[in-house]
Amino acid sequence: MPQRKPKVLAVVLAGGRVDELSVLTAHRPKSAVPFGGFARVIDFPLSNLMQSGLELVGVLSQYRSFSLINHIGIGASWDMIGRYRGVFVLPPYQGFGQSSWYRGSADAVRQNLDFIQFHNPETILIISGDHVYHMDYRDILAYHRRKDADCTMACVEVPWSKAHRFGVAEIGDEDGAVGGRVLQYREKPEVPASNWASMTVYCFKPRVLYDLLEANAREDESFEFGRDIIPRAMVGHKKVYGYKFTGYWGYTRTIEEYWQTSMDLLGVEPRLSLCRWGIRTNLDHRGIRDCQPLKVGEEGQISNSLVYNGCLVEGRVENSILFPGVQVKAGAVVRNSVLFFDNVVGKGACLDKVVSDVNVTVGEEVRIGGQTSAGDEPEEQASAPLVGSLLAGAPVAEPTGVTVLGWNNQIPAGMVIGAGCTLYPALGPEKMTRSRIADGEVVR
Amino acid sequence: MSSNNQEPLVLLLAGGVGSRLNNLVQSRAKPAVPFAGIYRIIDFSLSNVMNSGFSQVGVLTQYKPLSLMRHIGTGAAWDFTGRTRGVKILPPRTGARDSDWYKGTADAVRQNIDFIKTHPSPEVIILSGDHIYSMDLEDMLQVHRRKEADMTVATMVVPREQIKEFGTAITDSDGRIVEWEEKPAQPRTDLASMGIYVINTAYLLHTLETYRTDMDFGMDMIPRAIAADRVYAYPFRGYWRDVGTIQAYWEANMDVLRPAPPITPAAWGIRPNPEADGLPSDRCPARFIGAGRATNSLIAASCLIEGTVINSVLSPGVWVGPGAVVRDSILFHDCLVAAEAEIDLAILDKRVTVGAGSVVGCGAEEEKQQANREYPQHLYTGISLIGKGAQIPAAARIGRNCIVSPGRRSTDFPHQVIASGESV
Repeated sequence: MPQRKPKVLAVVLAGGRVDELSVLTAHRPKSAVPFGGFARVIDFPLSNLMQSGLELVGVLSQYRSFSLINHIGIGASWDMIGRYRGVFVLPPYQGFGQSSWYRGSADAVRQNLDFIQFHNPETILIISGDHVYHMDYRDILAYHRRKDADCTMACVEVPWSKAHRFGVAEIGDEDGAVGGRVLQYREKPEVPASNWASMTVYCFKPRVLYDLLEANAREDESFEFGRDIIPRAMVGHKKVYGYKFTGYWGYTRTIEEYWQTSMDLLGVEPRLSLCRWGIRTNLDHRGIRDCQPLKVGEEGQISNSLVYNGCLVEGRVENSILFPGVQVKAGAVVRNSVLFFDNVVGKGACLDKVVSDVNVTVGEEVRIGGQTSAGDEPEEQASAPLVGSLLAGAPVAEPTGVTVLGWNNQIPAGMVIGAGCTLYPALGPEKMTRSRIADGEVVR
Repeated sequence: MSSNNQEPLVLLLAGGVGSRLNNLVQSRAKPAVPFAGIYRIIDFSLSNVMNSGFSQVGVLTQYKPLSLMRHIGTGAAWDFTGRTRGVKILPPRTGARDSDWYKGTADAVRQNIDFIKTHPSPEVIILSGDHIYSMDLEDMLQVHRRKEADMTVATMVVPREQIKEFGTAITDSDGRIVEWEEKPAQPRTDLASMGIYVINTAYLLHTLETYRTDMDFGMDMIPRAIAADRVYAYPFRGYWRDVGTIQAYWEANMDVLRPAPPITPAAWGIRPNPEADGLPSDRCPARFIGAGRATNSLIAASCLIEGTVINSVLSPGVWVGPGAVVRDSILFHDCLVAAEAEIDLAILDKRVTVGAGSVVGCGAEEEKQQANREYPQHLYTGISLIGKGAQIPAAARIGRNCIVSPGRRSTDFPHQVIASGESV
């Protein structure tokens, strides 16, 4: 008789904000940030889990969790309902004893050990809900079991110049391209000894994890997997293995990185192919299931872009991503931009290199971004694939000057907003009386 | 206290063959025919029911019900799930005596009297599942109750030349129907029945059980009822189409593309059921790459546009290859149009593939008058119809008013050239 009860429990770390992504995380955790024209960042790890057959999942959530809870719903979108399937959002709670917010990713897991122990897994898979990538976790789980490891962490090669931003592991040659024993691990080292960065994907033997968490809670001041738990495992001579991942890994901490990762979706051979990966999202969230197909008007033009159902394009859209419900009116130009749900771009407006959060209305003849002018002919190479990302290692100029608009803003007609600006969410009309916002300004 | 016992029971007649839609209904019932990219025709009726606030629905099926049943599923897409809400599929069944197929609209309802009796309600609303419209049925119900009618028939004004297709009503100043003519050769009115009825449940049960030879509402029951009972007309003003012919079906799709469209499915609150396709993942946004462009078109999610799309409706997953042109056409799910191919004035059912450089719908303007030889009543305006899963070979030329049957392989084509009016 096959044992139907899952042997692996997955825990998704989805609570953090960590001052990433500027105003896009003013009202939602990073994992709930929209990505890819219809989905949210957390859809990537959740879809990975589903495709890996791992459908018993806890989601640790603390910061502004409503958007995440709303998005995950009952988990049916990822087939996570059933007798042995489920997705459980685990917020901080008060109890008889000490009650506290989650003081870090490790503390969040420790506070939910009763949930984990109830399911009595053979292996605990801990993953971040903040990254865009496609991975079959069965491979790392198999490697973890084959090595009889205490902890196996997935690592990806990053440019040496960026390695100091990550936890980096020196991985022994034991299994060549597959992975090996972690010889040394440093969290955000000034001088990295390796460029294999931890992806925040860990497999643990439950007993080892419980011990590490307990010691961490007892003795440390900080409670993070990368900074505290993995170093503890190394110091304690646990069997820590590194699994080498070679696919695309979208790490988006800044608006520029978010913008670049989004641009990686475009082109003939995109670095990041949503269709090939097979992403699922919650079609009930914001009711996107009910959107009618994209309507392109008589004068509408779309080139090298991703556009979801529910959009109405009567102007010109180039190298851009439009989420459901975006309207681009006649004569407007949207270029190199990512417009979240229900943006309205008024007649004759011009947007270039803009990331705009939900429900932003751009008035007529508004200009946002540096090089935009209404009369421009589309560049010759507009349809060429945009390649290069943070992790590509390719010699692509660091993208700069993305303007980000917080949600629920109304940009009055005729306003000019420069490149690299930040507008906080829901600025009232009294903040919008100026005719011009200079490059790089922050309006709050 | 719930007002459920005041809520009408809705019966949706979805059994019709719709044979004039030719091979679009070869493997599915007419209500299950895709429409406007992501919808099926029955979504309009189901959504009208939902938006009117009614939640007890029976769907009477008979002809090729599988795709319809899969599409309706649990009914969750139209909010028909819950303790007191539900949508039930009612196929014909054999029993002690009534062991026959549905012989007409009234007969179909009669064979489901047991269903009506287990859902006590003051009225039964009977709808057709194959019309494109948006209508507040609650308003019709209120008029019905205000008039204290036994039966109310939704009607609308249609052009004189079309009225011979319909049941027609002549009303008095109060809106009561005093005369009824079914499909009159010489019409005396322009008020046509839309096949939508509100009938008091007790009256309906009594009538069905008393006059057991009445098979059809329009032909039998209404003519009898107007003589003795209170039968009223409910005037509907708005867009309504019985997309029963290829031409009407094509025109209604094109109506969605017009600048101020008379059909606005999202604004009407029409809900599709994207999950019914059972795909392993969700459809991604439509992708435009290379020189791909579209004007005046509906493009559903996960289309890949590398060529040119003009005045057309594309269901999810359609690929238009580099240099290909799609014009004035309707392409169902997952059609593949290879490079340099051209589609002009055609309807392609699901998963049709068109080989590189082929032309579907070629021939001068006058060839559009050259009706299909096999089905001159179905295709006579120039539209060519390509059946589900057919594979058009590379460099083929298919004329006007042509029919390619579902599942035809490249090897089934006798020549590279199919002249206007011919079929494969």
